[in-house]
Amino acid sequence: MIGVLVTGATTAIGERLVRALVADTRVRHVIAVGRSPETHALPFAHGDRLTYVHVDLAKSRRVHELLFGLARDLEIEVVVHLDQHQNAFNKGKRVHQETVEATRSILELSHRHPTIRRVVLKSYAEVYKVSLELPVLVTEDHPLNLDPRAPQYIRDRVEADLTACSRMGFLDAEVVVLRCAEALGPGTGSQLFSFLDAPLALRPAGFDPMVNVATIADIAVALELATHGSGEGVFNVPGFDTLPLSESIRKWGTPCVPAPGPLIRNAYRLRHAVVGAGFSYGINRRRMHYGLVLAGNRAADELGYVPENPVDWPVGGPVRT
Amino acid sequence: MPFPPAIARAITRVIGKKSVSERAERLHFPNAGHGYDQFGMHPDFVALGDAIASPVYDRYFRVKSYGAENIPKEGPVVLAANHSGTLPFDGMMLWVDVLRNTDPPRNPRPVADYFVSSLPVVSTLFARAGVVGGSRGNVRALLESGGMLMIFPEGTPGIGKLYRDRYKLQEWRKGHAELAIRHNAPIVPVGIVGAEEQMPQIARIPIPGPVPYLPITATPLPMPVRYHVHYGEPIPTHLDYDPEDADDPEKVAEAARRVRDAVQELIHKGLDMREGVFT
Repeated sequence: MIGVLVTGATTAIGERLVRALVADTRVRHVIAVGRSPETHALPFAHGDRLTYVHVDLAKSRRVHELLFGLARDLEIEVVVHLDQHQNAFNKGKRVHQETVEATRSILELSHRHPTIRRVVLKSYAEVYKVSLELPVLVTEDHPLNLDPRAPQYIRDRVEADLTACSRMGFLDAEVVVLRCAEALGPGTGSQLFSFLDAPLALRPAGFDPMVNVATIADIAVALELATHGSGEGVFNVPGFDTLPLSESIRKWGTPCVPAPGPLIRNAYRLRHAVVGAGFSYGINRRRMHYGLVLAGNRAADELGYVPENPVDWPVGGPVRT
Repeated sequence: MPFPPAIARAITRVIGKKSVSERAERLHFPNAGHGYDQFGMHPDFVALGDAIASPVYDRYFRVKSYGAENIPKEGPVVLAANHSGTLPFDGMMLWVDVLRNTDPPRNPRPVADYFVSSLPVVSTLFARAGVVGGSRGNVRALLESGGMLMIFPEGTPGIGKLYRDRYKLQEWRKGHAELAIRHNAPIVPVGIVGAEEQMPQIARIPIPGPVPYLPITATPLPMPVRYHVHYGEPIPTHLDYDPEDADDPEKVAEAARRVRDAVQELIHKGLDMREGVFT
C-alpha cells in the first residue's frame, strides 16, 4: 500500500489518474493537487482515501510546505507530476516557473524527503526534434529539440524533461520520465486536439505525415503503471492510433483545406488573435511536414504498457486491430 | 495527402490488371491500426504504384529478371544494387520486379535520400508506396520488424554519374553492411543493366535547395533501353558475422567490399549476356 501525490489533478488526465488511483486497492491514500480553489474540484465522490488541495506550484515555498507538510504526514511515497503550463501562446517568467521551476523544486525536495521514493514526470512527445534527417519512428534516444529559437512552450518542456533526466541516479528517489503522445481531448493541452477541433483545419499542401495520438485513458494507465513500477528511466508512451494527418482530420469530421505554409501560419495567428484559439502552427510546422511516431517498445518491456484504447473518432468510430 | 486510399483503389481498378490488386491484397505488413504502417505505407498505394509502373516495366523498359529465387521469402533482408540513370527508374523497376517475383509478394522498402522527404506530394506518394527516409532509426525499425530494404549504396552520386562513368560503381557506402550485420540480415546483391544508358548525363549544374544539382542530359526523356535485373546469391552476413561486428569498421568494410564485388560481377555478367542496349 502506497501513498501517491498527483499534481495537475484537475486536468483531464490528472482527474482520470486520480480516479483510477482511488479505486486501486494497492493505494493507501491520494493527495490530489489542483489549481482550482474549490473544495470539490474533482467531479466524483471520494472517501477518506483522497485529499484535495489547492497549491500554486509556481511558488517553491508552497511546494516545500506541501511536500514537507501534508505529504510527509500522509507518508506519500510517489509523486506524479502532471502540472505543466498548457497554453502554447503564453510566455514569461510565470509560465517558466509553472513548467520548469515547479519540476525542479519537486525533484530537489524529493531528494531529502523522508518518505518520497519515486517521482514520475509526465513529459511530452513535443520535446523531440523533428527534422528531415531524423527517423519518423522515435525512440527514447532521439535528439531533443534544443533549438534556442524554439517557442518558450517547447523550450520549457524540454528543460523540465532534461531537469528530471539529469537527476536520475543522483537522488534518493527514483525518477521516471514519460514522454507521452498527445491525448485527444479537451483539457489535455493537446495542440493536435486544438487543431482538429477547429471549424476548419489548414494543413500544409503536398505533405501528409504520420501522427500518433493517444487517449486520456491510455495515458492514465501508463502513469499508473509508472507509479507502481520500480527503477528509473525515460519511456515513450505512444497512443493506439497511428495514421496520416489527413486521415485524422477526416475522422474528426473537420473540413480541411491544404494551403501553403506562410498562409497557414498567418491564418492561425489571426485566429488566435480573434478567438484566442490554442493551436500554434509555428510550434507544429515541422511535425506537420515530416511526422513523428513514438516507438513504445521500452515502455512495453519495462512498464508493461501497451496502448489499448483507440480514439473514439467522431467519423467512422474507433479502429481495433 | 493528394487523395485517400479508396480513390487509389478505384484508379488501380481502372488502369491496372487484376493481378496488381491481388498482389497488394497478399502483401504482409505491420498494420499500425488504420491500414497504414508506421511509416505511412498503405497497400492500396502500393497497388497504385504497381499499376502505374507496370506498363513502364512491361512495355517501355521490357524488364528481364534473373535469379529472383535468391530473394529470401521472409525475414530481414537488404537488397543492394547499383544506381544510375538520372531519374530513379532503376529503383522503380527493381521495386516492381521484387513485388512480381516473390511469393508471397514482398514489398522492398526503398531507402531514399533525405531531400526526398522535403518534396511536396512526391514525399507523400513515395511514403504511401513504402519509401522511407534514409535515417538510421527508420531502417533499423524496418529490419527489426523483418522487412526488406532496397538500398543503393552509391546514393545520389550513383544516379548522377556521367555517361562516361556508366557501369563504374561510385563510392560504395558501408551503412547497408553495418545494418545487415547488426540486424542479422543477409544481403542480396543486385546488378541492374540498362539503366546506366537510359538518359545519358553529360553535365551537372549545382543548385541551392534540397535537390543537389540540375542534370544536363543528352535526351529529354529516358530512352526505351531494355533493363536486365540480376539477383546474386545472398551474402550470408547473418551467418558470417556476429551482430557485435557491426561496431568493427574493418569487418563492416570487408562485408561492404564483398557486396560491391558481387554487384560488379553481376553487372559484368549482365553486360556480357545482353545482345544490345535496346534488346
